[in-house]
Amino acid sequence: MLVADDDDDILLLVTTRLRRDGHEVVSASRGDDALALAREIRPALAVLDVGMPGLDGLEVLERIRADETLAGTRVLLLTAKAQESDVRRGYAGGADAYVKKPFSPAELSTRVRELLDES
Amino acid sequence: MDLRKELWKHHIGSLFLAGGVALSGLYFLIPRGTPQSVVYDGIGIAASLAIGLGVWLNRPDTRLPWLLFGLGNLSFAVADIIFDVNPDAAVPGLADWFYLAGYPLLAFGLAYLIFHAGGHHRFAALVEAAIVTVAFALFQWVFVVDRIVDGGGSASERAVNALYPSMDVLLLAGLAGFFVTAAWRTPAFLLLVGAVVTMLVADEVYGLSPGGYAAGDWVDLGWLLSYVLWATAALHPSMARLSKPRPRVRQLRVSPVRIVLLVAALLSAPAVLVVQDIRAAPLNVPAVVTAASIMAVLVVLRLVGILRALERIRARLIEADRMKDEFVALISHDLRTPLTSIMGYTELVLDDDLEPKLDDERRSYLEVVSRSSARLLRLVDDLLFVARLQSGRLDLTPAPLDLCALARQAVGEAQRRAKAKGVELVFDGNGSVEVAADKGRLFQLLDNLVSNALKFTPEGGRIEVRVSRNGAAVLEVSDTGIGFTAEEAARIFERFYRADNAIEGQVQGTGLGLFIAQAITEAHGGTISASPRDGGGAVFRIELPAARTAMMQR
Repeated sequence: MLVADDDDDILLLVTTRLRRDGHEVVSASRGDDALALAREIRPALAVLDVGMPGLDGLEVLERIRADETLAGTRVLLLTAKAQESDVRRGYAGGADAYVKKPFSPAELSTRVRELLDES
Repeated sequence: MDLRKELWKHHIGSLFLAGGVALSGLYFLIPRGTPQSVVYDGIGIAASLAIGLGVWLNRPDTRLPWLLFGLGNLSFAVADIIFDVNPDAAVPGLADWFYLAGYPLLAFGLAYLIFHAGGHHRFAALVEAAIVTVAFALFQWVFVVDRIVDGGGSASERAVNALYPSMDVLLLAGLAGFFVTAAWRTPAFLLLVGAVVTMLVADEVYGLSPGGYAAGDWVDLGWLLSYVLWATAALHPSMARLSKPRPRVRQLRVSPVRIVLLVAALLSAPAVLVVQDIRAAPLNVPAVVTAASIMAVLVVLRLVGILRALERIRARLIEADRMKDEFVALISHDLRTPLTSIMGYTELVLDDDLEPKLDDERRSYLEVVSRSSARLLRLVDDLLFVARLQSGRLDLTPAPLDLCALARQAVGEAQRRAKAKGVELVFDGNGSVEVAADKGRLFQLLDNLVSNALKFTPEGGRIEVRVSRNGAAVLEVSDTGIGFTAEEAARIFERFYRADNAIEGQVQGTGLGLFIAQAITEAHGGTISASPRDGGGAVFRIELPAARTAMMQR
């Protein structure tokens, strides 16, 4: 799976948790890098931070949804903005789940498991 | 500067004032004729010289206006002497020319001071000064000038006599203009106002008295005091400050005096009409029309100014509000990101699966870090929530939901914390109680109340959460905690308010929880109340409109 966040500490936190859960994880710290990686590895799940340089999470989500080769990729958004409008935009853009920052790694790993079980 | 001169400077004004007032009183005790004239003319000359002395002592940055005041008063004093030498001279005589020369000198001095103090920058205040001046001019025209013009005497005599009231208008214009500067707070200015006002009053009494005038009449007191006050103003050390430029004050100030003055000015035209009608006197239509028209234009100008100022203020407020929102968003992001790291990594370290295992001591320390950061997060969330509330951006998405089920869930989630603290937490309610509410916010409200009860209830206590309906949906949370007094019940929902018991019992909190609870309840059209529970503790009661009514209200 793919994890993208511009904050190195958060990126390491998420990847560590997911690796401990036994997932294979690649990471990116920019939106455009994340999109390129997604097209290359076609991950089952992309965990995207909303606020990123290059492309923001919502834009990456939009491009993933527009790309037919990535139809199997589920998207989980991480957002620091606890704004309902962001969440709504996220779901409208085709996100499968979102986790609000600050989140607990355990909570994240539960959401990830749920998402992968559904598909 | 040496001390003696300083002392001299501070006392000479008071000495002059006391001496001048005493002499003015003496004036009315001595016989009419030459003795009186000597005192009168003496005061006039002394005042003119004292103004010169004041300029020399106080050394103002701008001497010109004060020299003009000195010259103006000297001109009056010379006229007094000429008049006293030959009281029965034909009008216009030499005395009149000296009198009439004095007014413009004084008025120009006042105008010069105003401009120097930056008064002309204050357009709004100048407009108001102009309105008052126009109203005064109307009175002078109708009640004083008209009578002189229609009265007896040669054409030149009437013309010169009519000039006096016109000069008073000039002087009042200078005075009214002065109020627009910040200079009016200095003692020297108050003395100047006194000088001009006593002079104007004397002039008006003189102009309106039908029986003519003879030296020694009471009206002389006004002119005498005016001399004394002009001189005292110049001798007062604060005169040096009077002409200093002052910062512009950009404020919409509406003092009662100002309103009264403006209303009186605007009523002058109808007042003149009524008075002339009652007296059955001829109506000076051009005077009333001119004055009323000028005032109407000035009032509109002033209104436009006020509206523009309001528009500027509104734009600034909108900008400030936007900046506050941005600030909140920034803080939201910047506080939450490091908190995510702190809490997340602590959790990773505390992970049971991690090898090698943590020893108990290290684990207990890290659990403190974990608990503290959770508390910090809650505080940040509360503050952000309140900030959003203050800017009126609590966007709710109400949907029909079962209050009973949601309350049961909130109680369920708090159960672990209750057990840890040794508090019995029970839920009472069955069936479904439909309300239209924002699920996230309502859960926040329920969790808030339950957590609050838990926080204030000591070990061995009991918390009951009850949901019922009696037309409205009712939720009650009662606890056996430390409670609060009946007086405190009224204030308990205020932002940052904390009851005495909470402070003494060192129960942690910011005083935001109940404020938030109230805001959420009211946003849903409900009511929240708190009362002390019989036998100790507290009862919080929330009533929310039942689903159907709530939907209809939208």
